Amino acid sequence: MMAAGFALFGCRDGLLGSSSGSRKLPTLGDFEDEVRRAVAQGGRGFELVKVPMPGSIKSSLSTVRSQDSANRFGMAIDLDVCDGCGKCILACNMENNVPLVTEDEAAKNRFMHWIQICGGVPFMCAHCGDAPCEKVCPTGAANHTPDGLSAMMYKRCTGSRFCGANCPLHARKFNFNDAQALGLARKFNDEVPQRGKGVMEKCSMCLQRLQNDRLRFKTEVGVAKAAGVPVLGSGEWRGRGVQTACSEACSKHAIIFGNWLDENSELVKVASRRELYAPSVVAGLDPSVVYMRGRR
Amino acid sequence: MFRLLMYIGLAFLVPGLAAVGFAVYEGPVSWGVDAVTFWGVPVSLFVFWIGLAHAGTLLSAIFLALNVSMDRRTALLAELSTLVCLIIAAIYPLIHLGVIGNFYMVAPLLDARGNFANVRSPLVWDFCCIAVYGLLSLLFFVLHLIGGAKSNMLDGIVKIRRSMAWLLFPLVLWVHTIVSLDFATTFVPEWRGAFFPAYFIAGAIFSGLAMVNLLLCVENYRVRLLEKLMLVGSWVLCALWLWNFLLKGDFCVSAFVFAGVLPQFLLVENVRESRILRSMVCFSILLGMLLERIFLVAPTPQVSALAGISDSSRWVDWGLIAFGVGCFIHLFFAVRRWLSKPIENDEILMGDVDEVKESEESASERNARAKYFPPLTTPEYRVLRLPVLFGILVSLLFCIWTVSSNADSNIQVSLISVVPVFFPIVVLVASVILCAKPLWYVFESRARWCFVGVCVLLAGLFGAFYAGGSSMPAASESRETRAEHAEDMNSYARTIMIWNSRCSACHGVDGKFNEKFIREFYPVPQKLTQQRLDSLGLDSLVKVVLKGRVNMNPYGDRLSEDDARALVRYMRSIAPIDSVVIEDSLATDSIPVEVVP
Repeated sequence: MMAAGFALFGCRDGLLGSSSGSRKLPTLGDFEDEVRRAVAQGGRGFELVKVPMPGSIKSSLSTVRSQDSANRFGMAIDLDVCDGCGKCILACNMENNVPLVTEDEAAKNRFMHWIQICGGVPFMCAHCGDAPCEKVCPTGAANHTPDGLSAMMYKRCTGSRFCGANCPLHARKFNFNDAQALGLARKFNDEVPQRGKGVMEKCSMCLQRLQNDRLRFKTEVGVAKAAGVPVLGSGEWRGRGVQTACSEACSKHAIIFGNWLDENSELVKVASRRELYAPSVVAGLDPSVVYMRGRR
Repeated sequence: MFRLLMYIGLAFLVPGLAAVGFAVYEGPVSWGVDAVTFWGVPVSLFVFWIGLAHAGTLLSAIFLALNVSMDRRTALLAELSTLVCLIIAAIYPLIHLGVIGNFYMVAPLLDARGNFANVRSPLVWDFCCIAVYGLLSLLFFVLHLIGGAKSNMLDGIVKIRRSMAWLLFPLVLWVHTIVSLDFATTFVPEWRGAFFPAYFIAGAIFSGLAMVNLLLCVENYRVRLLEKLMLVGSWVLCALWLWNFLLKGDFCVSAFVFAGVLPQFLLVENVRESRILRSMVCFSILLGMLLERIFLVAPTPQVSALAGISDSSRWVDWGLIAFGVGCFIHLFFAVRRWLSKPIENDEILMGDVDEVKESEESASERNARAKYFPPLTTPEYRVLRLPVLFGILVSLLFCIWTVSSNADSNIQVSLISVVPVFFPIVVLVASVILCAKPLWYVFESRARWCFVGVCVLLAGLFGAFYAGGSSMPAASESRETRAEHAEDMNSYARTIMIWNSRCSACHGVDGKFNEKFIREFYPVPQKLTQQRLDSLGLDSLVKVVLKGRVNMNPYGDRLSEDDARALVRYMRSIAPIDSVVIEDSLATDSIPVEVVP
């Protein structure tokens, strides 16, 4: 009997799981409606405290092995400008193929959105330098890239939800439902895989855009070297000119993306003139996503 | 009596199995989960049952190690309950997982792709400790069982039991410390506190004692020592709850009533002497501890009367609880009936203590002690120290291997994060060495073959874990492409980018082979001149790009057919004309750009 019970094991994503052949795809309107609802329902705000500029102090706590890496990507969100319109959420959903949720879940305020409006301000994964989620992930699915991103390896995730329990911001979202089978997911962007049931996901800081830019840059350098043309600059990729979906979508330019270790990036230029804040729960964990307000 | 209990167990088990099946099929959405913790009843049930699993080995091993006399039948029952509880406790984490098929990735082993489990995570420590604890509990139980049955001929086995007890004693405490670290290492305010290991160990021992006392009530027997210990346990736990309350302000009232207040009735003689009332007190302790675990895992704001089981809970929550209860009752009493002969041995009656044999044993050992032994050959050395030393060696090697295989990954494993798995490995190696020889001689040839078969099976499992799951890309789904993305599809720039990133490693940026690389790894192929490319034809070249040929890798899972077609055209445009020096400039304007459908 136990064996029979456990025979269901493989059925979860096999025979029965994806059998519903004719799935209807949700329209863009559905996504817009859901974002509007999420913004209206909102979330409890976080207490913000002042923090130094990310990357300015080489933290000994930091889990990143490659401390000497030239890149540490992050964002600064301008609290003086942001009005919590939610355009960033929609852009993020389209970029990263974030699925809709069922009516039940929406009523409980449990959306899959990687960005949440809490207290009128967008909150997403802070990509902590000393990330608690990465420490407790048993399989190493949650890991830190040399570029300072807290990344997810979806194929390696066992869905133990330990990372979600340990994230002070609750920025991690768990795929409780098979969104594709339920007709809640739509693939807007070919470059981002759709996540299966039972897998954790969260803000990836538009990793695919960064990787594309890196590929382009390296190719250009390679071509230039092959052609014998001298390479401009140090020949090292700093991710200049890349924008995340949310920062691109923000009409008020309240979300600024950049490289904290690159003095020429817009992020560092803007942030150095402002007072920086981070949610108090992650302020000690060396967050890469910070909030700015006022003048220094 | 036992048959009746088995049926009662079955009555719980069948609906429980339905719930387990549903939970496994539906995934974590099926039981009531809280948005804050993501966890739920399976984790609390895991903690509860792993706590109960401490009773048996605790009683047998620690009492044996500390020379507290304990009758054989009680010890055997307790050890059996440990084994059954461990089986149940191992099932719940599996149910809890989102992707059950990936559970093996938690084991701290390298896989063929070079992935290593994150040894910093308490879940990995858990996995190791509980696996080792389960195996050793089984060994200990088997030793006890056959040691009693054929005691005359096998003093070797009786001798190693004491060594095993000394190995298991710290392991029991170790396991529950690790389980508490699952909680205490997180950032959840309700779970923080340095006293958590002590708190969990106390709770585990307390609930385990209640379980053993309940089982003894069923046997119509009682051990006063265990009842006293249980009472002391309730006081210790009340103190810890008070501490927790003063520290964080959360308090589970129902657990306090059931497991803190009601046990005090054992102080009343009439209650204590009545078998029914005694068993009811034990039951209320178990209930209280279960509620306490549920409360601990999901400290929701809307805690209802039944601890954490709030409005969001479903029938599956109850079903999972029933599964544990039913599985335990059914399995325990089935094995109890099956083993009734060795447990109710004619020679060894209730209240009979193993120590009778031990004293004879120690007499002969005392004689031996008087003799002179050259260094490193004393009995103590052979029986305990050598295996432990060997275990430490293996464990050290494991730690070095773990740290070194993580050296080039981004996971920073320091030696301190390997410490929790250090001791279980020592114990595992030591006790396997300890038991291998005596057990080999005890068993008949059929059992030996079974053992060899199990070893082969385990090796096969390791192989499967090493190989890991399929790496095939997910089946192609209906793709919706963004309009702006479609624009630059197949454009000339994109083709050059693909060529330079994917093909140029071998074919060279300029279409001539990257000779230095090719010569090193492959036989040098024919030159791909324009004439040759023309003779091969566009379609067959597209096929080669997509499906691969001889030394060329297939790119069908990464490139679309249009991409491949554009690449072939590009390759033709840059291919050298036979025996003609190529010009520098590429005829860019002559490349036909395919129209986007």
